[in-house]
Amino acid sequence: MNFKFLAVILLLAVSMPVFAQKNMKIASVLQPSKSPIVTFRIQFLTGSASDPKGKEGLADLTSTMLAQGGSQKMSYDDIVGKFYPMAAGFGSQVDKEMTTFVGQIHNDKRAEYYEIIRQMLLEPGFREDDFKRIKDNQMDFLKTNLRQSNDEELGKERLYNIIYAGTPYEHHSVGTISSLEKLTIQDVKDFYAKNYTQAKLVIGMSGGFDTQFTAQMNKDFAKLPKGIMPKSKRTFSLNLSTSQLSEGIKIDIVQRETRATAISMGFPISVMRGDKDFPALALVASYFGQHRSSSSYLYGRIREVRGLNYGDYAYIEYFPRGMFQFEPDANLARKSQIFQMWIRPVEPQNANFTLRAALYEYDKLIKKGIDQKTFDETRAFLMKYVNILTQTKDAELGYALDSRYYGIDNYNQYMKTALSKLTLADVNAAIKKHLTSSKMRVVMITKDAEGLKKEIIDNKTGTISYASPKPADILAEDKIIGTFPIAVKAADVTITPVDKVFQ
Amino acid sequence: MKLFLLLLTFFIAASVTTAQTKKVFPYPYKTSDLPNGLRVVTVPTDFPNLVSLYIVVGAGSRNEIEKGKSGYAHFFEHLMFRGSENFAPGRFDEIMQKAGASSNAYTDDDRTVYHETFAKEDLDEIMKLEADRFQRLKFSEEQFKTEAGAVLGEYNKNSASPTFKMYEVLRETAFTDHTYSHTTMGYIADIQDYPNQYEYAWTFFKRFYRPENTTIIVTGDINEAQVLEMVKKYFSDWKKGDYKTTITAEKPQDAPRSKHIEWASPTLPYVSVAYRAPAFSETEKDAAALDLLSGIVFGENSELYQKLVLQEQKAVWVSPSFDNKIDPELFSVWAQVKDEKDLNYVRDEIIKTYMKFTKELIPQKQLDETRSRQRYGFVMGMDSNDAIAGTLARFVSLRRSPDTIDKVFALYDSITPQDIKMYAEKYFKDTNQTVITLATKKGGAK
Repeated sequence: MNFKFLAVILLLAVSMPVFAQKNMKIASVLQPSKSPIVTFRIQFLTGSASDPKGKEGLADLTSTMLAQGGSQKMSYDDIVGKFYPMAAGFGSQVDKEMTTFVGQIHNDKRAEYYEIIRQMLLEPGFREDDFKRIKDNQMDFLKTNLRQSNDEELGKERLYNIIYAGTPYEHHSVGTISSLEKLTIQDVKDFYAKNYTQAKLVIGMSGGFDTQFTAQMNKDFAKLPKGIMPKSKRTFSLNLSTSQLSEGIKIDIVQRETRATAISMGFPISVMRGDKDFPALALVASYFGQHRSSSSYLYGRIREVRGLNYGDYAYIEYFPRGMFQFEPDANLARKSQIFQMWIRPVEPQNANFTLRAALYEYDKLIKKGIDQKTFDETRAFLMKYVNILTQTKDAELGYALDSRYYGIDNYNQYMKTALSKLTLADVNAAIKKHLTSSKMRVVMITKDAEGLKKEIIDNKTGTISYASPKPADILAEDKIIGTFPIAVKAADVTITPVDKVFQ
Repeated sequence: MKLFLLLLTFFIAASVTTAQTKKVFPYPYKTSDLPNGLRVVTVPTDFPNLVSLYIVVGAGSRNEIEKGKSGYAHFFEHLMFRGSENFAPGRFDEIMQKAGASSNAYTDDDRTVYHETFAKEDLDEIMKLEADRFQRLKFSEEQFKTEAGAVLGEYNKNSASPTFKMYEVLRETAFTDHTYSHTTMGYIADIQDYPNQYEYAWTFFKRFYRPENTTIIVTGDINEAQVLEMVKKYFSDWKKGDYKTTITAEKPQDAPRSKHIEWASPTLPYVSVAYRAPAFSETEKDAAALDLLSGIVFGENSELYQKLVLQEQKAVWVSPSFDNKIDPELFSVWAQVKDEKDLNYVRDEIIKTYMKFTKELIPQKQLDETRSRQRYGFVMGMDSNDAIAGTLARFVSLRRSPDTIDKVFALYDSITPQDIKMYAEKYFKDTNQTVITLATKKGGAK
């Protein structure tokens, strides 16, 4: 063979990829405006569902190393020092399917701020001292924060563990204590290299930035490896449908030293934003348990009428930290959701009654559905309430990113349009189809777990004593509630010591 | 024509901006007083379609001067949702629901705040609703007793948190005469007795829910003249009151105080080191100086934080707490500690740091950076009608005027490193100190 010809062939073979290579277009959601504040929501479509088996918590740990650790050039001390006069911060939120880095800055300081977060995300330091601090914090969060100082959040997260057992959604995004203990800094580096790619990136920004700035950001983030485009969320590759769970009610009582009894319950549903029945179910959840609102039906029956606790609510989308905020955080979009009831802590002697009350009301909802008046009122509420969900620029941006994920228009438009076309029949059909479940899972947190278990298994009548006389109709309903059957087998009422949870 | 209008808008916008670069509060506002003493503050903004309404009452747990009544202002806040003469129980919720509103309330040491954000077209109806409950509140004893159960529920859900208990113990240790000795939540023993105190609710209402004690704040997509007319229409008949709370001043402290709390379940230990601190002022530098000090000396950027949290990793977090209060209250620093063996060490490091700045000057550069941080932080916090009204509510409860905000920032601008050292020395003394620690009960915890 002609040597020269071979050399040319070889040269071409090496150089062809360069000529054929196209720049990958990085996805973005941009909302320029006259606001003096710039909001960044830089998202990677990878979350704790991507934690390798045995390495639960890796996605969260990695993101925290980026957002709360030093870059290659700057230690975290230095970064905090630079943020200080700008009143800036940088945080990360990890859920099952996405990791979102959030920061806000006054436009005066945008360039300086961006240079720092650019480094944090693209040139992370992966330092040993940061790793130790952050890993310890993650474990403390599970061990003492969730387990020992917030019964309500504990109940909700435990419920998710149980419903999603055996799936990538089982573990809390922060992980488990035993898996965290084993994670190394190399694990973090590997996760970063594999998952922080252009294909998974969505740059979200709102505020007074210009096109020159966005061009620069695209150029900077093009230094990430290309990666593989994530599959469309409509392929349920994670197999998270309701057929996962066995039939029947199951009750897990978490035992810990605590004053009151917290209750959470729910089951998976197959409806998300973009699905035909989502607006109908959103209406039902709003009627039945609008978050921290006295218009919640459950609140009306359990707190308002009976004074049993601080509140009672229902949801069709994940809403962590609900006790600290009135609106949910954005960017918790998932491939699977649950219908959930949150019954805030009750005096232990009323727990049996309250559990039955919640199940009784749920049963009424699925048997009777809702009436025209309720439908009209709740719809009128939701059509306006969507404005409140997006009342800050940050929320508007977050919702836009989620709309992109779910493949829907602007959330407000989507909901208003769908709600305006909705009928009562649609809603009641949706209740029958999606909320009628024979696979309820219940979590209760209490001190006398054995006593509570016995009350349930022995089918002890739920009782309640009032500080003042109640009308006859309430007392009559109390009798029904008190003996409302909890169709649970004795073997399906389990007691779990709190130090086994998230272990 | 369009271009002319565009240019005009630009020039107006520019001139408004110029006039306001010296001001920190970034929106124009109007303040009006009704003859009965009710004050109205209106702030039009460019957040469209929504209005936020905040009603600030000058009554908080500080006003609970009678024994057995701790937490009553907060309990009363709950009772305000139980119906009024012209709006039966349940109507409030119906109206809020129709307006697509987010509605709630909170109580603090010095104020109770009722607030909602809703579609602008519903302002008139909501104003009417509010006017009725503020003037013609009405509920039965049965409803009263039921609501007491909800407040007990609130105490119960808070009780899982160790810091909730620590705060209660800190306040009752640091104060014995002033009503700041109890917290806004109140003592469990008092809460458990609420069902027996129906008559007192009306005493409380008559004393404190009066126009001279109340400020209405309206922000958002509004016409200010129309809002004022609305308020006049619904609130003009509200009668002025004459009750003045007489609060026992706290005696000077003469020795350091401390308490240790044993926690029944496993927990990471906590420590709080507090000193008696100055009250809010628009004119005196004391509180402003300590405010600036708190971020510099105990914030995330501080040497102490970097040492304890980042380098030595003995604390999970360290955080200062110093609020604007009507009367002198506390300046405190809190930390969550990783291991009980380091509890005393962390406590001592915090105390050493307090002492350091009674002797050393804060560098001018840090002081300037802190002022920059405060200004940016303040502006960045105004990200919705609700946030703007919420911020105003905090200041209006102190001096009843949004002017206070710019006065306070002007005060910050006047503070020097020497001022900070002087006030640190004045307040951070042993005889002013209270230390609270909390750790798992030995041997008994499950």
